[in-house]
Amino acid sequence: MKSRIVTAAALALIAATASAQAEESMTAVGWGGSWNEAYDKGVFQPFTAESGIKVNLDEWGGEIAKLRTQIESNAIVYDFVSVEAPALEIGCAEGLFEKLPDAVYAEKDSYLPGTIHPCGMASDTWATVMVYDGAKLKDGPKSWADFWDVEKIPGKRGMLGQAQYTLENALMADGVAPGEVYDVLRSEGGVDRAFAALDRIKPHVVWWTSSTNALQNLSAGEVVMTDLYNARVTAENEKGSNYVIVWEAGFFYGTDMWAIVKGAPNRDNAVKFVEFFAKPENQAGFPKLYAYGVGHKDVEKHLTAEQLERLPTSAKNLPYAAVYDTDYWAENKEALEQRFQAWLAQ
Amino acid sequence: MGNRAPGNRRSVFSRLGANRDLRLFLLVLPLLAFVVVTVMIPVGQFLYRAVDNDLLAENLKLTAASLADWSPDQGVPGEASFRALAHDIRNAREAGTLGQVAQALNQQITGVRNGFIKAAMLVDEPDAVTVEDLTRVIPALGEVPLWSLLKSAQSRWTDFYLLQSIDLERDQAGAIVNVPADRAIFRDIIWRTIAISVNVTLICILLSLPVAHVLANARPPWSGILLALVLFPLWTSLLVRTVSWIIILQGEGPVNATLLFLGLIEEPLRLVYTRGSLYIAMVQVLLPLMILSILSVLLKLPKELLRAATSLGANWWQGYWRVLLPLLSPGILTGSAIVFVFALGYYITPTLIGGPRDQMLSSYVAQFTNKTLNWGLAGALAVQLMALLLIAGLGWAAFRRLGRRS
Repeated sequence: MKSRIVTAAALALIAATASAQAEESMTAVGWGGSWNEAYDKGVFQPFTAESGIKVNLDEWGGEIAKLRTQIESNAIVYDFVSVEAPALEIGCAEGLFEKLPDAVYAEKDSYLPGTIHPCGMASDTWATVMVYDGAKLKDGPKSWADFWDVEKIPGKRGMLGQAQYTLENALMADGVAPGEVYDVLRSEGGVDRAFAALDRIKPHVVWWTSSTNALQNLSAGEVVMTDLYNARVTAENEKGSNYVIVWEAGFFYGTDMWAIVKGAPNRDNAVKFVEFFAKPENQAGFPKLYAYGVGHKDVEKHLTAEQLERLPTSAKNLPYAAVYDTDYWAENKEALEQRFQAWLAQ
Repeated sequence: MGNRAPGNRRSVFSRLGANRDLRLFLLVLPLLAFVVVTVMIPVGQFLYRAVDNDLLAENLKLTAASLADWSPDQGVPGEASFRALAHDIRNAREAGTLGQVAQALNQQITGVRNGFIKAAMLVDEPDAVTVEDLTRVIPALGEVPLWSLLKSAQSRWTDFYLLQSIDLERDQAGAIVNVPADRAIFRDIIWRTIAISVNVTLICILLSLPVAHVLANARPPWSGILLALVLFPLWTSLLVRTVSWIIILQGEGPVNATLLFLGLIEEPLRLVYTRGSLYIAMVQVLLPLMILSILSVLLKLPKELLRAATSLGANWWQGYWRVLLPLLSPGILTGSAIVFVFALGYYITPTLIGGPRDQMLSSYVAQFTNKTLNWGLAGALAVQLMALLLIAGLGWAAFRRLGRRS
């Protein structure tokens, strides 16, 4: 009797392992929190329903150092990751990522600028926008020149304490159109011009390091306006705040990119996901739930007017936008951040 | 052990003693192996990145060899070196290392990265590549500094990152000079890290002495409750603790509200995201370590010491300053060492509650490791951090010796 139970248990165990082996899966890594929730519900669950491939969703802070160590030590646990576009650029050149399937990359003309790359496609497009509290300020700023004008609208300004994204804003305040900002930065004296503009606003700035502290400064009235990531603003407004995004002042959007890790244990499943995600109706699952856009131009057709309006890449907001130049930042980030730190210390 | 006469020391190495030492050694062997494998080797490897030039030495062999007799005062080298470089670029492309090479070169000369990656398309036939072709995609090849950098690939080691981590560089002639002021940040960051750690340690000492005194003299139910209160910050999650401070100190927070209500201030003070708020948050976490160190010494001292001092004519303050405090110094020293070393490594708390000018050395190590993959500079900054630890350790040992002698 006893031996029969043992046999049955052993058989059950074998069956369980066998079915676990048969179950296809992949490990995807996103930015955590509500971002992961939106992706899980809007994109990965439909994918699993269609393909039978289970998606284990993990989170990280975009540290591609982790990929480098996993690949160097040949212990790869991530299959599919979302990374910032400049990191994709660096990682792709370094050989940390697989190339996209040819059929997917061939569609590149259907994508917004900066949202597709030989090594990856946009997981989300986000923007750093100008924001003020509509409950406190009746006649808010209309342009970056207004942001710089402390006589017109008195009070402290919140700004991200780093060179990247801040130099762009400084040049817009100095009268440069978003589309020409990188031409100016690349030209002789362009960076000096941005720092000269920053000199003028410096005494009135409260620098922030995380979006939570930027938002707290704004809600506590420590600053009258700030730059901030647009989805953070939307999320607060959904909780009842009245923050106003000044899209028309001009803004830059950046992309985080999905990429397949080189040597991923479930590479084939990740490729299947990329093929699934290349269809605009499947991409639309994310922006339906979250105020960040995705890459394919046809995604708009699958969204309501309300869902569209809050995206940096909607037809309404796109005319005021330019894309963050990943080539420029891959080359100049370290040197300019160093200069920015030295400038802050002066 | 204690009563063994100094002249008898040889007997330690008698057969029996040696056996015992061997046994003791075997007992700590697992710990030693664990520390070597999990700490010393990985840390050593990471620190080695500070001087590691293998990547360039491996991938720019031909170029470096062609520059063997070249020196910067000769100006841009001849066509042979350009051709050698074209071969190296093609080989690196085939080996899949070109991206890393371009990135590493860009860390030393900003703006050459994309050129090297684009050059990959030109070098299918390296011997057919002309000087003009290469200079068109990599304009920096028309100037001497890039060639000096390429020549440095002759060596498997580099001092670039170590110099950079203390705001130094080599000029064209190879002499070590200060970097221009608009790039000098690391000395400032190192001083800031030391200053914050020293100040946190001092504040902890000042706050701990009275608390330890109260704890040592409290009666049973209270002593337990007070001790639990002291330890409470240690048991709270770092994030919760830090975010609570942000809420308490912010513009519309309770501190400002109280001050406004009492009419002491007219508009909210800026309390959070400052050096002050960073001190508050760090001291709160590290204070228990100092209190416990002092308390452990204080509890061993006879309670009558102060009374004895006063009965011999000293006032309370003199008794405390000249009798009790010197006896407490081992506890203060141990506590200071622990607090200082912990404080040196802080980076999550400064990120959350400090401003951009309150970030400490470790934040930069994390940033260069994780975000820009500049492991050379991250390793060099880690070397600086280790150097600080070493100096602190030596200072601590010197103090203890001094204390024992007096």
